[in-house]
Amino acid sequence: MNHVSSRTPRFVRIGALVGVAFLALPIVGLLKRVAWSTLWTQLTDVATRDALRISLYASICATVLALVLGLPLAWCLARMQFKGRRFVRALVLLPMVIPPVVGGVALLGAYGKSNGLLGGLLNSLFGIQLTYSLWGVIVAEAFVALPFLVLSLEGGLRSIDAKYEESAAVMGATDLTRFTRVTLPLLKPSLVAGLMLAWARALGEFGATITFAGNIQGRTQTAPLAVYTMLESNPEGAYALSFLLVAVSVGVLVGLRDRWLGGGSQ
Amino acid sequence: MVAAPVHAEHVEVKKITITVSAAASLSKVYTELGKQFEKANPSIKVRFNFASSSSLVSQIQSGAPTDVFAAADLTSFNKLLATGNVAKQPKVFARNSMQLVVKPGNPLRISSVADLQKASVISLCAKTAPCGVYSATVLSGYGVAIPESKITRGIDAASTLNAVSAGDADAAIVYATDALLAKKQVAAIPIPVGKNVKAMYGIGVVRGSKNSKQADAFILFVLSPAGQKVLNTFGFLAP
Repeated sequence: MNHVSSRTPRFVRIGALVGVAFLALPIVGLLKRVAWSTLWTQLTDVATRDALRISLYASICATVLALVLGLPLAWCLARMQFKGRRFVRALVLLPMVIPPVVGGVALLGAYGKSNGLLGGLLNSLFGIQLTYSLWGVIVAEAFVALPFLVLSLEGGLRSIDAKYEESAAVMGATDLTRFTRVTLPLLKPSLVAGLMLAWARALGEFGATITFAGNIQGRTQTAPLAVYTMLESNPEGAYALSFLLVAVSVGVLVGLRDRWLGGGSQ
Repeated sequence: MVAAPVHAEHVEVKKITITVSAAASLSKVYTELGKQFEKANPSIKVRFNFASSSSLVSQIQSGAPTDVFAAADLTSFNKLLATGNVAKQPKVFARNSMQLVVKPGNPLRISSVADLQKASVISLCAKTAPCGVYSATVLSGYGVAIPESKITRGIDAASTLNAVSAGDADAAIVYATDALLAKKQVAAIPIPVGKNVKAMYGIGVVRGSKNSKQADAFILFVLSPAGQKVLNTFGFLAP
């Protein structure tokens, strides 16, 4: 460590310090605003509890949905050569770069009951309405979280040496045993990281959710929506909930520590 | 060294930019007012910041640089007067009312606020935004209580209407002026005067404005016959 720092120019170190302050100050500012004495009361308030329950449930379901859709996608992108591969890859990345609100508008265009491409059909055939429902929240969150999972899995699948899988096949393992006994254990680090990232993204989702699934307390109002809605009516509650969301994010980082924290110079 | 070309005929007066924070329901009409004002005052540029009046109050209270504040109610000004962010009572420059809007063709056959029970999702403004307060007044006037589980809360007047025009909400209570602007996407059902509200719009200079002269000029323009004419074309009533 000393060896490295002695060669790092001073202005770089100062720049890094400014960077640290830039990132840390807002967090400190938030912590300063939290009313610690009423924290528990605020977090157990009906609206907050509802929001937390919806957020937790929807973000987990969205992560599962993203996994179900994302694993085959990542597999094909990592291991297949096919026409339109670049197009599929760009499509997968798109929800990551478009503004979430635009994502919500796009989802309305697809699954809206009154004027969505598929939404009207879903409703008239099966009586399914995604908008203003918990499933709508899950779909919106999965839409924005999917790229994170696919990217992580694709990288993981690429880095697995194909000879392990091949030798398993030579030894007569079926596709399924080969996947569960060979590929999956090797893929585990990227899978865990991808799941955590996708889940964190789903948990923090705002724009697509409010546009597509609305802001119904107890039904589609997730924790970020509750923070925004409460900011004027009940700032103490908004800060308390914000604090909890930051704490959860820190938890995710701790979960990913092997991958991201302390990388390199342990 | 080549001398830089001098365009004597292009010497421009340095423009002063004023920031006008205005209620979301004013976004269309103020954009138009801004254009006309800039035309009449070439040395001033107007920059707008549209959000719900209650959000704007918080922004101004936390020090967001603002020269003019235009709100969809007068309560917002009382809050700013209390914290010393404005010095004077606002000038009332327009009046608005609420309307019920539904999907085109009114599939649920909602004929008045009393019928709102038929709707499965109703879009209303955030409780703290002026439009949220106004719609609560209308609902209580009808004695209609809608369970929170059927209400989706828009963060401002514009997004509240969007839930019906672009989304799947069955009905919304919005400003008559917003309903007028969206008349192709939604069907409007008037709320009778006796059960309606008088939404008074106020405007004033924010304390600490470095361009209070230009801010005053903009306010005078909004109150002038020319400004009132623009407001009128967008469906706002004279105060």
